[in-house]
Amino acid sequence: MSAQTATSPSPSRHAPRPGSGITFSRVLRSEWIKVTTVRSTVILIASTVLVMIGLAALTAWGYAQLAQSINDGSLPADLQAQGPGSPATDALTTPSSGLIFGQLLIASLAVVLIASEWTTGMIRSTMVAVPGRTPALLAKTVVIAAVSFLVGLLSAVVSYLIAQPILGGQDIDFALTEDGVLASIVNTGTFLALVAVISISLGILLRNTAGGVVTAVGIFFVLPVIMQLLSGLAAWVPDAARFLPGEAGNRMVAVTAAGDTLTQLQGGLVMGAWAVAFLVAALIVTKKRDV
Amino acid sequence: MIEAQTLTKRYGAKTAVDSVSFTVQPGRVTGFLGPNGAGKSTTMRMIMGLDNPSGGQVTINGRPYAKHKAPLHEVGALLDAKAVHTKRSAYNHLRAMAATHGIPNSRVNEVIELTGLGAVAKKRVGGFSLGMGQRLGIAVALLGDPQTVILDEPVNGLDPEGVQWVRHLARDLAAEGRTVFLSSHLMSEMALTADHLIVIGRGRIIADAPIQDIIDGQSKARVRVRADRPQDLLNPLAGDGVSSQLLEPELIEITGVDPRRIAETAQRTGVLIYELTPLQLSLEDAYMQLTQAEVEYQSHSLSPTAPDTTQLTIPVEGRRP
Repeated sequence: MSAQTATSPSPSRHAPRPGSGITFSRVLRSEWIKVTTVRSTVILIASTVLVMIGLAALTAWGYAQLAQSINDGSLPADLQAQGPGSPATDALTTPSSGLIFGQLLIASLAVVLIASEWTTGMIRSTMVAVPGRTPALLAKTVVIAAVSFLVGLLSAVVSYLIAQPILGGQDIDFALTEDGVLASIVNTGTFLALVAVISISLGILLRNTAGGVVTAVGIFFVLPVIMQLLSGLAAWVPDAARFLPGEAGNRMVAVTAAGDTLTQLQGGLVMGAWAVAFLVAALIVTKKRDV
Repeated sequence: MIEAQTLTKRYGAKTAVDSVSFTVQPGRVTGFLGPNGAGKSTTMRMIMGLDNPSGGQVTINGRPYAKHKAPLHEVGALLDAKAVHTKRSAYNHLRAMAATHGIPNSRVNEVIELTGLGAVAKKRVGGFSLGMGQRLGIAVALLGDPQTVILDEPVNGLDPEGVQWVRHLARDLAAEGRTVFLSSHLMSEMALTADHLIVIGRGRIIADAPIQDIIDGQSKARVRVRADRPQDLLNPLAGDGVSSQLLEPELIEITGVDPRRIAETAQRTGVLIYELTPLQLSLEDAYMQLTQAEVEYQSHSLSPTAPDTTQLTIPVEGRRP
């Protein structure tokens, strides 16, 4: 036990050292270490970027094909009848088109990162190190939201760059300066960050990976479909549906506001309000419950 | 110093910890002993702020754990060796814990060396044996060089060398003036490590005394006597340090008198004795007796014809009537 006695300091060192103790930036650093030291997390983040870029490239190729068909008159009759819309306008949302799948991956990632702390027991270590609880959960939320924002932003920027040559073949490429395009690219990140906040809150409330992921999918994918099905029942149903987190979030990345839909800013505010509400509920519940 | 005052934890209708009060002093190893389900872990979780008490309070160095600005420097705890993300390496787990308090990586390396984790520190915790997990938990507890160390069943899963190491560690920490509080359900372990014992059963403190007092108090000469007129036998025996208990109309248990004197007294008074059994108590027996009535999950003999074990009751302060 010579090693033990050698490294055990004398009792006089027990007085708290100046500058020692919990600060939010230290907790942030701790959470950053946690995110970057589990390999599956890093792989999931990297694949999210790749999948989103791939989807955007496919989307661009689709619009280019459609534009070509319209130009040379080879559009199939049934599509013609539907009215193919304007590929040139629709293509403006190409950079954010990876969100369809990206939000699912980010929602799962956020739920897994927090719920796995409960399933592995890690949360007890976390809450002993940061017994105030709220700073630990807030720091994790900030780290995951920031990572998600960067994932969205990076994917959208790269998607834009890859899409231009594809769209350019049909002359439907566009500049970043076009109305709403830049905001849509930035909001691809904002959308994912807010998805992450809502999902992490669900993970905190449910403490269970499967339950959290299913609930997140329910909110972002199933709820809009149900509202759609019920929209015939009463006039207020489609009105209310616009304020669902996912629907409002989609308006953030839409480039052309049609009719009575929310604007980019309104969409962001509505989804942001949802995120804050979920997070506050999660923090209050965690403060009161046993770990 | 850890101070609990009428600390209570209820889960629904079940009371896991029932209004316990105790003080854990610095400079010595205090053992927290009790059968499984007695409330040891729940008490420790409340000390560490993981469970909110249903009543009462517990403070460490004067304030609740969560109110300390640098809690890892005040208290280090091993509550559960499994409180680690299985896919993270031991080194990175320690780094993440250390980062919350700005503890440098040099200290992380120190505790890795100290706990003998060097060879496996970069491996995923999921592949650790129970013993390695315990060592990692102890490493986390020592990370902040805390004044108070709380270890819940620290020798669980350790090999003999590891058990020895934990004993020395606990004694060394206490010798340095720190508060050391360890739980176990093994009396034999406590006998070797602890200076002071707090015994808990069914959520209540049933003994709180220096370990020597508990051994002395429980291993006094004890004799079981069957006699036709117990009272006539007891009257002449009464005196200092002698106590007795009537278990059945003709069965008594006498403490503090040796068997020969009882036989002599019986002869003199003409009381008929038809059983005289000296009861030898080991430390383990003492503990079993202390906690027997308080064991939550009692095992029963599988054989229906097995003889009943005699249940002895010992008057101990603070015990449920």
